[in-house]
Amino acid sequence: MVRSTLLNSMTETDHSVQIRQLNYFFGQADLRKQVLFDINLDLPKGQIVIMTGPSGSGKTTLLTLIGALRTVQSGSLKVLNHELVGMRKADLVEVRRNIGFIFQAHNLFESLTASQNVEMAIELLNEWGNKRSKAVDVLTQLGLADRVDYKPAALSGGQKQRVAIARALVNHPALILADEPTAALDKKSGREVVTLMQKLAQQEGRTILMVTHDNRILDVADRIITLVDGRLETDETLDNFVEAHDPKALDRRMFIM
Amino acid sequence: MRRRTGLAWANLSYERRRLLTAIAGVSFAVLLMFIFRGFENALIDSQIQLLKLLNGDIILVSKLKQNMFVPEQFARRRLYQAQAYEGVEAAYPLYTTTAYWKNPQTKRIRPLRVLAFNPTDPVLPLSGIIAHQRELQLPWTALLDARSRPEVGPVEAGIVTEVAEQQVKLVGTFVLGTDFASGNGNLVMSDQNFLRYFGNLGPDEDRRDLNTVDVGLLNVRAGEDIDRLAQTLRERLPEDVNVFTKTQFMQQERDYWQNNTSIGFVFSLLATMSFIVGIILVYQILYTDVAEHWAEYATLKAMGYSNTYLLWIVIQEAMILAVIGFLPGLIISAGLYQLTASATGLLMKLTVTRVLNLWIATLLMCLISGAIAVRKVQATDPAEVFGT
Ligand SMILES: Nc1ncnc2c1ncn2[C@@H]1O[C@H](COP(=O)(O)OP(=O)(O)OP(=O)(O)O)[C@@H](O)[C@H]1O
Ligand SMILES: [Mg+2]
Repeated sequence: MVRSTLLNSMTETDHSVQIRQLNYFFGQADLRKQVLFDINLDLPKGQIVIMTGPSGSGKTTLLTLIGALRTVQSGSLKVLNHELVGMRKADLVEVRRNIGFIFQAHNLFESLTASQNVEMAIELLNEWGNKRSKAVDVLTQLGLADRVDYKPAALSGGQKQRVAIARALVNHPALILADEPTAALDKKSGREVVTLMQKLAQQEGRTILMVTHDNRILDVADRIITLVDGRLETDETLDNFVEAHDPKALDRRMFIM
Repeated sequence: MRRRTGLAWANLSYERRRLLTAIAGVSFAVLLMFIFRGFENALIDSQIQLLKLLNGDIILVSKLKQNMFVPEQFARRRLYQAQAYEGVEAAYPLYTTTAYWKNPQTKRIRPLRVLAFNPTDPVLPLSGIIAHQRELQLPWTALLDARSRPEVGPVEAGIVTEVAEQQVKLVGTFVLGTDFASGNGNLVMSDQNFLRYFGNLGPDEDRRDLNTVDVGLLNVRAGEDIDRLAQTLRERLPEDVNVFTKTQFMQQERDYWQNNTSIGFVFSLLATMSFIVGIILVYQILYTDVAEHWAEYATLKAMGYSNTYLLWIVIQEAMILAVIGFLPGLIISAGLYQLTASATGLLMKLTVTRVLNLWIATLLMCLISGAIAVRKVQATDPAEVFGT
């Protein structure tokens, strides 16, 4: 039902995400506080977009809205051809299955092996027969072939985050949402993880929206957007972004929080 | 092949020590429930085990004898009168009294219940009694209950000691068991010996003869309607006796113990408390699992798992705890039942019904805990795992 009405209006079906006049509020009545103001944003398929901005500017909130993790109050928010505004919670759960989430914390079950953690995602698609080989495949692509049967306790921080990425990518989601995926990693592992995400996205034409404060990884982006005080401040290609922000100013901005 | 990743078991078993604590907790609750239910039924069943074995279809007792504790007799004449009725095949008197038994080793005096009848009458057809019919007819002889309390001393044929301050020789043993009215055990003797021991007591003591009977047993001819015959006797016999079918008699005794004493209440209360303690224990375990893994569970929700699935995980954990906690509890209970039975002579029976009932109680216990704990999972907001 949602889909059919959308198909007519969605002439730009080459967009994974299409946001129009999105406002978002936390709290009720007197405590009601607006955190997102009139957001308009299109994410074309296959694009890697990095979102930056000061702490508290609403980046995570926007990510959770696009990820169908919150019910949306106003405007229009189309994700993978579904209009999320006004959608029931049960339908939101369905939409999430097409999105890969990568969090700052890996959130792996300590009691399950790397492979089993990834298999949990595959089971969502009701695929049972080849789930193990699929899990091993994706872990291998992420350089964990010899770690598939290790539990998280026996993995390094970077390896754990790669397992979490494997879990997010195994179902080939059309959209990947990542919130500071490298924050818990050292420079080298962070770089590795981002490069892997970039490689997979390019191979399979996935859209990636990644929040990060880490200006060392900005180069993987096709596009950088900046959120300030709940408003979309700038939206530029990487080259423009680097030109417009001299590195010192950028650094200052990143570390204001 | 649909093989889900066994998340419930993985999470439960990952923390060995917590799992062991959980199993021990469930087992303990199960054990307590078994013990309390067991004692309740043992205490009540023990009260009627003698009645159950008595060979009578219809029972006559004095109007004043409300339960087996009350030492009231009725005139033996009533038995003869009853016997005259069409359908009554035989009538047997049973004499009972409390007597002091001297432990042959410690010389300590302990009260016992004496059951006396004509050894040639099939009053209490137990193998040990039938086998020693002949010896019972000798003067100053008796049979001692092998399930008597240890306080009475050794129970074996050939022992010579004193009962009611007169010499007695044990000519054998039988197997019955104690109850509240039996004191430390049961002593069976012939009616003639009963007269020898208790017929010559001083006037202050409870002097007995064979003209007053404690319990009268009527055997009814095969094919006769026992209820109707009992009804007839109830109407026709003088008011000083009560007439019961055996079933009614046992039920009355059971009711007495269940309703007029606090046994039923106390033990039900104790069993209920064990049940609640079990719920709290299991809840603690399940809640800890959920609370420690809330970010992972929330991630599952973000991935697209529904609340129902998470509910199912917690329910599975609850059921696993029920299964692996119940078995040790059952096995230990079986051992304790045996121990209690041999130490006290109480009827501790592990019936299939009780095992099933308590299994259901255990499952319920775990499911209730799971249902409370799961509210925590359902409340986890997948949006919260971002940015933390
Ligand atoms: N659950 C919530 N209830 C109420 N207010 C919230 C909630 N979550 C976030 N906020 C507020 O909304 C604003 C935006 O928060 P958000 O987490 O989106 O910022 P952010 O850009 O991700 O910041 P950071 O870079 O520190 O992660 C903040 O002012 C925050 O205090
Ligand atoms: Mg954030």
